[in-house]
Amino acid sequence: MSKKKVGCGCLGCSIPLVTFIVLVVLIIPISIWGFKLGGFAHSKNPSQAFVPTINISLPAEVIFHIGPLPVTNTIIASFLTVLVLVIIALVVTRKPKLVPTRIQSMMEAIIEWLYNFCKDTAGEKNGRKFFPLVSTIFLFVGFNALMNLIPGYNSITYGEAHLIRGANTDINTALALSIISFVCVTYWGIQANKFGFFKQFFNPGRFIKGWGQLFTGKFKSSLGNIGFGFLDIFVGILEAISYLIRLISFTFRLFGNMLGGEILVLVLFYLLVFGGFGIIPGIYGFEMLIGVIQALIFAGLTLVFATMAVASHSEEEHT
Amino acid sequence: MDASTFKLLAAGLCMGLGAIGPGIGVGLVGMGALNALGRNPEARGQIMTYMILAIAMAEAIAIYALLITILIAFNVVK
Repeated sequence: MSKKKVGCGCLGCSIPLVTFIVLVVLIIPISIWGFKLGGFAHSKNPSQAFVPTINISLPAEVIFHIGPLPVTNTIIASFLTVLVLVIIALVVTRKPKLVPTRIQSMMEAIIEWLYNFCKDTAGEKNGRKFFPLVSTIFLFVGFNALMNLIPGYNSITYGEAHLIRGANTDINTALALSIISFVCVTYWGIQANKFGFFKQFFNPGRFIKGWGQLFTGKFKSSLGNIGFGFLDIFVGILEAISYLIRLISFTFRLFGNMLGGEILVLVLFYLLVFGGFGIIPGIYGFEMLIGVIQALIFAGLTLVFATMAVASHSEEEHT
Repeated sequence: MDASTFKLLAAGLCMGLGAIGPGIGVGLVGMGALNALGRNPEARGQIMTYMILAIAMAEAIAIYALLITILIAFNVVK
């Protein structure tokens, strides 16, 4: 029985993996203790540890201007995310092998999962049509959230403000993505149904038919049609309001979750002076999970709304 | 009672009352998902996906309340 020697035989796993594990196990406590010990350096009296107060600024801070346009720290972070995504895409598709390498198989798994998700929800043809937007939103929001958690990301300061701040914590990013999703869903809806798309909001057909029947003498059915027609118009207005509210709800769902998570982490670090060892990996893992889930929800809801918009709105006949 | 007292009271009440509904809602979604999973254990992937989607929609309401609480508590609202 011969054992295959992988890396260092006495450890049982490869050297890069061991290095990675040792670094992670060392970096997290060292950074935490460094932060706390640095607090002592500011004061002569060791019993007064200096814990800097948190200042949370809701709007993103402007770092510099390009001509008339201000560049905030969240824009810098989102450009870094785009850079990372482009580099990954180039590395994966440069020389694709039939038996994939590790990073290629990871990206293939992600893209294939997204494609199956689109096809399961929206059908064959529509799934293919919706797939680029849905997967772009998922990858962008997901990588924004994950890169915000890289150690040291928020520590580089420029004057008083952070140089880089997670792009999802800015309401402008969330609003932009939500407007893109709204416009695309409306466009697909109109493209599929022509102007019948607006029939779900503005449906006075039965109401007018009821009034017409009133003048031709069929009183009972005219009253029924007027009543139901009124209901149709009312439901149409409700549908229109809930359709427009999607803009706001998408924005605030993403923005609130991300900003709330960041404030939670800051407040936790501020409150726990020395005993925070066990909490911190839990909060860190929670933030990663929330980031990916919010990305999935944004993309998934866009897909579901697009599927509903493209489905044909046939009038149901009440007897 | 002056303005800062009311501010603290408002922040606490806002988040507290705003989390009752979504808490119950998320619990109901979980119950529905577990019931469905019990009846049909093979559909696990789809059920989990839709459960997470529905949980996020219910939780968004709590996030709206959290937003207003943060705005009130950090003196952003004039």
